[in-house]
Formats: sequence, structure tokens, C-alpha cells
Amino acid sequence: MSAQAVDTHVGSAPAERVAPRRRRLINRQRPGWMAYGFLLAVILGSVFPLYWSFLIGSGDPTTITKQDIVWWPGGNFLTNAAAVLSNESVNFWRAIGNSIIVSTVVAFTVVLFSTLSGYAFAKLRFRGKTGLLIFVIATMAVPTQLGVVPLFIAMSKLQIAGTLAAVILPAIVSAFGVFWMTQYLSSALPYELIEAARVDGASMIRTFWHVALPAARPAAAMLGLFVFISTWTNFFWPFIVLDRQNPTLPVALSLLQSNYFVDYSVVLAGVILSTIPLLILFIVAGRQLVSGIMQGAVKG
Amino acid sequence: MTSTTLDDERRIRRIAFSQKLSHWDVRISPYLYISPFFILFGIVGLFPLLYTAYVSVHQWHLIGGEGDFVGLDNFAFVLQQPQFWIALRNTFSIFLFSAVPQVGFGLIIAAVLNENLRAKTFWRMGVLLPYIVAPVAVTLIFSNMFGDQYGLVNNVLRGIGIDPIQWHSQEIPSHIAIATMVNFRWTGYTALILLAGMQAISRDLYEAAAIDGASKVRQFFSITIPQLRPTLIFVIVTSTIGGLQIFDEPRLYDQFGQGGANSQWMTITIYLYNLGWGQLNFGRAAAVAWLLFLIIVLIGLLNLAITRRIAASSDVPGERRSRWTWRSVRHHEQKKVEA
Amino acid sequence: MSTSRRTIAATIAGAAALALVVTGCSNGGGAATGDEKITLTLATFNDFGYTDELLAQYTEEHPNVTIVQNKAATSNDARDNFFTKLGAGSGLADVEAIEVDWLAEMMQYSDKLTDLSGSDVDGRWVDWKTAAATDADGRLVGYGTDIGPEAVCYRQDLFAEAGLPSDPEAVAELLDGDWDNYYEVGQQYVDATGKPWFDSAGATYQGVVNQIQNAYEENDGTVIATENPDVKEAFTSVLEASATLSAHLGQWSDDWNAGLANGSFATMLCPGWMLGVISGNAPDISDWNVANVFPGGGGNWGGSYLTVPAQGKNTEAAREFAAWLTAPEQQLQAFTNAGTFPSQVETYTDDTLTSATNEYFNNAPVGQILIDRSNAIEVAPFKSVKYFPINDALQKALTRVDVDKSQSIEESWNQWISDVKALG
Repeated sequence: MSAQAVDTHVGSAPAERVAPRRRRLINRQRPGWMAYGFLLAVILGSVFPLYWSFLIGSGDPTTITKQDIVWWPGGNFLTNAAAVLSNESVNFWRAIGNSIIVSTVVAFTVVLFSTLSGYAFAKLRFRGKTGLLIFVIATMAVPTQLGVVPLFIAMSKLQIAGTLAAVILPAIVSAFGVFWMTQYLSSALPYELIEAARVDGASMIRTFWHVALPAARPAAAMLGLFVFISTWTNFFWPFIVLDRQNPTLPVALSLLQSNYFVDYSVVLAGVILSTIPLLILFIVAGRQLVSGIMQGAVKG
Repeated sequence: MTSTTLDDERRIRRIAFSQKLSHWDVRISPYLYISPFFILFGIVGLFPLLYTAYVSVHQWHLIGGEGDFVGLDNFAFVLQQPQFWIALRNTFSIFLFSAVPQVGFGLIIAAVLNENLRAKTFWRMGVLLPYIVAPVAVTLIFSNMFGDQYGLVNNVLRGIGIDPIQWHSQEIPSHIAIATMVNFRWTGYTALILLAGMQAISRDLYEAAAIDGASKVRQFFSITIPQLRPTLIFVIVTSTIGGLQIFDEPRLYDQFGQGGANSQWMTITIYLYNLGWGQLNFGRAAAVAWLLFLIIVLIGLLNLAITRRIAASSDVPGERRSRWTWRSVRHHEQKKVEA
Repeated sequence: MSTSRRTIAATIAGAAALALVVTGCSNGGGAATGDEKITLTLATFNDFGYTDELLAQYTEEHPNVTIVQNKAATSNDARDNFFTKLGAGSGLADVEAIEVDWLAEMMQYSDKLTDLSGSDVDGRWVDWKTAAATDADGRLVGYGTDIGPEAVCYRQDLFAEAGLPSDPEAVAELLDGDWDNYYEVGQQYVDATGKPWFDSAGATYQGVVNQIQNAYEENDGTVIATENPDVKEAFTSVLEASATLSAHLGQWSDDWNAGLANGSFATMLCPGWMLGVISGNAPDISDWNVANVFPGGGGNWGGSYLTVPAQGKNTEAAREFAAWLTAPEQQLQAFTNAGTFPSQVETYTDDTLTSATNEYFNNAPVGQILIDRSNAIEVAPFKSVKYFPINDALQKALTRVDVDKSQSIEESWNQWISDVKALG
């Protein structure tokens, strides 16, 4: 850059000595081995339950009770996985299909409505804003267990009890999502950008579409990922409201635990199988998150 | 003034009309944007809320249905039960053991992830792995590990020569074990949320600070934390709400799901569940639900106040900014002048 | 970007709508007679042995009926589901399986279940089984499926080590008698080997309490639990014996499963369905056997019923179906499929049952043993509305002393008394 900018800094040094420092600051330093070591430890800890599930899932029914832990997997994983897929009560493929439908729809709608509402709460002015925002947050404080009975009544009255709609509808909007987008946009979307767009004559909706949405992308991707995962692993409400012939994956998998004696090697093989779609999503969404952040639409 | 032509008049009317539209656009749009949330919430959120309030002031058997109106009797009864207060104590204990490490450790992890790492995707997604494992598997692992007689942790302790700890029989050890389960599941998640907030902080602030000779640690406390205020508020409020409502982990910690033979780890939501589905006393369960709601709101506001105090700074123009924010603004203005 | 987003939105909305339409058909309206097409839903849990082949036999004889079976994993899941939908007033299956413990809780609201009495099912079951499912007005609201008559499972190798007789007949003689006898033999064993005699106080207690006619409630429903000397006697004696004889494992806990796998105790009270639990948890141990004896004569642990909720749309057809399912022929098939011991008296003279043996248990003649044990049951404990929560609280009290070791017998008993009062 021009040396002029440098001169205005307090305590400025001669141009030649300062310029190299600036260059180093622009190309961000790579962190040392300590950072990687720390992260490796964290990742190892994170991967542990998945690995442990795989260990048990590749053994036999007694593996889980063994005192001396064998850290190397047994050879039974494929047998157990086959047992899961062919189990007549479990209906695995149908359950995966249902889970995909439900999780995708919910993630999409939550992200959409949360971004809309978050943008409004974060950047727009309107009457009753603070009060409404507090109300939104307060709704998260309501324990969900009790809501099951009235919600079930509502679903029956709407004639959708037993269908996937009964699982999707209550989850379409999320106070958590609204709160998250509000907080994110309030710091990641400077007023200057919005004002610039308005000055250029854009309507509210165009401003939203062309300014707010790109700024919100990283947070939206993250929210979508979180909502997808939490919807995928949700058990209690789908268990209550869905017909057994039409389950989502966790409900179907719970049937592997039926019977007085539970064969955990099969159950955990099922857990691993059910995690695979999420892992795929991980890789796809992960790239989105990183690239979205790097684009840095709003960096000064 | 001289009279304008017809065209001019039309033009003026058109401009005035579009101005009026624009005016309405600004006034109404916010309400339109937030309406989907509130409309849908009205159906699936408000109805259960009001229903629960209605139930809580009646005698209500889960099967038998609505009984007599009893006013605040259910509330009075519940507040006099030692079990309620024990459950409250347990809930707070588990909450403190889980929320504090989560946020602290999450901040550290996020700070490291914020660096210019190689293979960013791998590291960032990696910390989220515990979150995707089904809760049933996680609780299986941990309650197995923390088994009193045959668990892995006690085996290791015996190996080093320490007495085995009664992870299920005693209160505090059970709280620690459950908090470990919770932390395990949610720390990576918290870290990613904090990371997203960190990524939104402008690089210029750090550059200005680095030029001034501030160390990384100083930068962290003076730039990152204040700029993270909205995100920190979010994390602390949501983990407060989630932490006080904790249900799945304590429920699956033993085979009965009632929070221990002596309510060692019974949380408020488990107490609520036992009242409603165990004793089939729906009225009392609804009373507990509303009491919990009030407690959460109280604690939430408290935490909000604390967080604001800790991360004191603001992104609203005109208020006190941190030293390096001002520097970066001046830097910007300088660049604009040159451009 | 805007166009593609809109397309995506439209596609998802369309897919969702399609999903709604495809999955949205679940009516079962209409009367019960043989011509109209109806769908009957059957809700079970654990494993009742109702395989697709078995159900297909019914649809062959009744071609207008389609059967859909919904399974819940555990009895607890099924109970949560059952009571939630009872409370909501809709959503239950046409035929709902219920475990005897929650049936007792239902008795106060037995009008929510259809009256299933009929001459076609008279005398089908053992008396005490039907008594538990008959409400105060004499309506039979549940058809019995299986029962859990108890024998004693024991480790023949550990018995031999301790110098006790180890073949089944001798063990049956040894343990024949009352509970004090069981504890005395146990003390001999512990003195000889230093290892636990039975798994837990909780399991032993339920064997004792199920032999008391009116443990917690009088026949008119008055709660006498805390004043009943029989209950106090049972509680104290089991815990005193447990001090030296118990392995201090909470039943069904991870520790208990591991204890079974590692062979830490010598005997266990064994209803028919427990056999599968033992063989599943301890496949490497080959010395479990079953003795044709039970302290105090006989006892029953568990057992289920099929009920027809009154909120259903096809209660007549459902009743017919339930009657068929619980007929002796079908129950024998279920026994072959899942090991659930039948409650129908006719089956006790059937070859399938009398000749049934279990390979894991050293080819013990389990069918005959359980028939004998079932015949030895003298007491049908009266269980009504408050039975389940009171018993639950007592099990917790036992755990506090036996497993957690956090309270003395007196302290735990007193806490139980205040817990019972709080049930209001």
C-alpha cells in the first residue's frame, strides 16, 4: 500500500522498516504446533464415543460387559449391521427416508424464518421490538415435556397425528434460531452496508436479499447444520406422535432394544449406521461454513 | 410559482406515491418478517403454554382428565415437598458443573480454531463430532464408564490405588458424571457458535492492536471478548435455559430413569415427569412446569446482567468504544481519503 | 441466486406436501362386521412372539381385516405412550398390550377400556390372572397373554464348590420351604465361599411381596401400606439377609448385567422371561440350571394383558382379534417364538409346553418346571390404583440400603413412609 497511510500512525517509523511488518500482518501467521496438539487432543476426545460404539458394534453381546477393554475392533461389524438392516421391526430404509425428509424440511424452514426474524430484530426499527424479542427468548424457558399432551391434542384435531407433518409442524420455527440470527446479525452486519443499499434505492426486501442474506450465510449454514442434527436425533416427540410403520430413525433404532435382554452389539451397530448420513452432511456443510467465512462479505 | 405542466404533475404524484410505498415498506416490513415465527408459535407454542397454565390450577389426573378447580393448591403442595427443593439443588449443581466448563473451554477451543489453521474444515467439524452421536449411545458409554462396581473409571482409580468413587450412589459424584456427559456433548457445539461470532470480528482491530504491541492474550481479553458480547450473551442465555431443563442425560443415567433411589441426581424436569407420568398427577406436574419457567426467566435475566457487565463495550455508535476500535475507524477513514 | 432459491423452496414445499399426502392416510372407521375393510392396529412391547406368520393366520380367516403391529422397545416406553394418549383422548391402537403393573393403575378408570367379558373366554385363564383384570363392577377389561411363574435359577458349579448338592432334584429339596430356609442355605453358601448368594434385595423382595394377599391396599382401595406389619416384616427380613447374602447390584443396571456376565452370584429368582436375560448376558457360562422350587411355594412376576381402549373405532372387531390372539393355540405359538409362558390353562397339558427344555440351562425341563410352579401359586396379590407408585418407592428404599448403602434400614423405612404420604 502507499507509504502515506503508514506515516499517519503514531510513532511511525521510516517507511522501509514498517512496510515488511505490514506485509506480515496482512498474511496471517500460521499457528505453532501447540495449537495443533491441543486440537488433536480435543478431536481424539470427541471421536471417542463414536469409536467406542464401533468397538462394541463389532463385537458380540458380551463385549460391553467385559472388564478388560479390548481397544481393537472385533470382526462382527458387518454381521451386526446386516442384522440391523434386516430386522423386521426396524424398517431401516423407510426410517432413513423419513428422517431425511423431516430434518431437511425443518432445517430449511427454521433457517429461513429465523434469518427473516433475526434481521428484523437486529437491524430494523419497529415498535415493541424489545418486548417481542424478550418474549421470543422467554418461550425457550418452557419445558417441553408437558407440552406433549396438548400438542398431541392439537395434532389430532388437525388430523395429522401419525404423519410426518405432525413432526415437522411444531418444529418449523425455533426461538433458538431467531435468537441466534439476531445476535449474529447484530454484530456481523454493519449499518453502513444497509444504509448504502437503501441510499441506492433498494426496497426492504431487496436489501434483505442482497445484503443481509450473504452476511448471514456462515451463521445460517451453522444454524442449518445444528437444526438438522438435533431434528435427526430427536426421539420422544416422534415416538409419541408417529405411527410405528412410519418412524424416524431414532424411533426405529430404539426397537433394537426391545426384549428383556438387550444385545448392545447390534444396537450400537445401528447407532453407527444412523450416524453415517450425518457424517456425510458434515463434510458438505463443513466446506460451506469455511468458505462462507472466508468470503467475508462484510469485512472492513 | 409558475404552474407546472400535466406531465410534471404526474411525475410528482408518481414520486410521492413511490415515496409513500417506501414509507409503508419500512414501517410494515419488520412486522411481516417476524410474523411467520409468531403465527406458527401461536399454534404450536402458545397453546401448550396456556393449556399447561390451565391444568396447573386444577386437580387433573392424566387418565381421568380435568377435576376441580383448586387455585394455587398444586403450587403450594409442590413447594412444600422436600423432593422439589432437592431437585432444584441438583439442577443447579449439575448446571454449574456443566455451564462453566462449557463456556470456558468452548472459548479456548474457539480461539484456537480461529487461527489460520491448515485443514480448517477437518478441525472445525471434528469438534462437533460428539454432537452427532445419538444420546442413547453417549449415555450408554458414560453410565457404563461410571458404573459403581464394574465401571472403567473406577477400575482405573483402583489401578492407581485410589478408592473407587460411588458415581451412582452419592450426590456430587453423580452430578459430576452427568455434567461430564453434558459437557462432552455440548462443548464443541458451544465452541463453534463462539467461533462464528469471532469470525465476524474485523481483522483491523487485531492489526491495530498488534501494531501497538499487544500480546495475543491481551488482544483476546480486550478485543475478542468485548466484540463477542452478543454471541456470549446468546451462549450464556441458551446454556442457562438448556442447563436448567436438562432431562435426557439424568434420565438415562440409570435403568429406572427416576433420578436415583434417593433423588441423588433428580432434576426438576425429572421430578416433573415423575409427577405427571409416574403418579399420573398432571395438575402438580403443570405447577412444577410453571415454577421452572419462572426460575429460568429469573436466572436468565441474572446471567444476562452478569454477561453485560463482563463484556462491557458496545457496537452502537456514540457509546464508549475500545481503544483499538477507534484506531481502526481512523485507519478506515484515512484509507477512504486516499481512495 | 434468487431464482435457484425459489426453485429449491418450491421443490421442498412440494416434497413436504407429497409426504403429507402419502403418509397421511390412517383411518379405520366403520363397523365390525365381516364385509367392510378395516385396519386393526396392535400395540405391543418387548417381544410378545406375534410374528408376521402368526398374524397372517388371522387375516387368512378374516380377509377384510388388515393387521398393523406397532412395537415399542420397552414396557416403560409403551407405558409413557399409553398414558399420554389416554390423556389426550385419541391415538391409541385398537388392541393395546398392557403390563399388569399399569393395569392396576388403570383400574380407577377402567371405563376407558372396553368390557371384554364373554362366554367364549370363560375359564380360559388361571383364576388369579383374570381377577387382576376384572374391575369393581365385574367387567373383564384385559385378556391375559403370558405370566411369569417363578422358579430358582442356580449355578451348579458354585453350589458344588460350596459343598451343596448341585443336581436339580436335590436343590429343589434343599430350597423347599419358606424364605428363612432360603436365607439359611444362603448363609451356608456365603460362609463356605465368601461370595454373594443372590443378586439384589430388590429382586428378592418382589418375590416375597407377591405372596402377600393385600400388601399395600385393602380390597376396597384403602391404602394400608405403611401400617401393614407383613410389609414391614418383608422389608426388614430381606434387608437383614441382604447384608451378607446380596451382591448389591441394582437390578437391570449396567453393573447387574456385568455381574451376570462375570458370574458373581449363585442364585436368582427366575420367571420364564428371565431365562433369556441370563442366557443373553452370560453366554460364556455353562453352569446355570433351574430347580423346580420356590421359597414359599410359588409366585408370579410380571405378565401382560391385551386390552381394547374404548376410544377405538372398531372395538367389536378388536375384541374378536384379541380373543383369537390369546387363545391357547396362538399363545403356544408365541411361546415357541419368544419364550413367553402362557397363562391359558389348556396349554398346560399340551406337549409343546410339557416337553419344552432349555439347552443353555443344561437341558432343564423348563416347560414342566414352570407349569408346576404356576400351579403352586396360592396367592393372587391384590393390586389397585396406588400399588405401582408405592411399590416403586419401596424399591427405591431397598436400593438406598442395599446398593447405595446410604441409609440404615430404619432411616430408609421412615423416608418411604413420608414418600407414601406425599403421594397424596
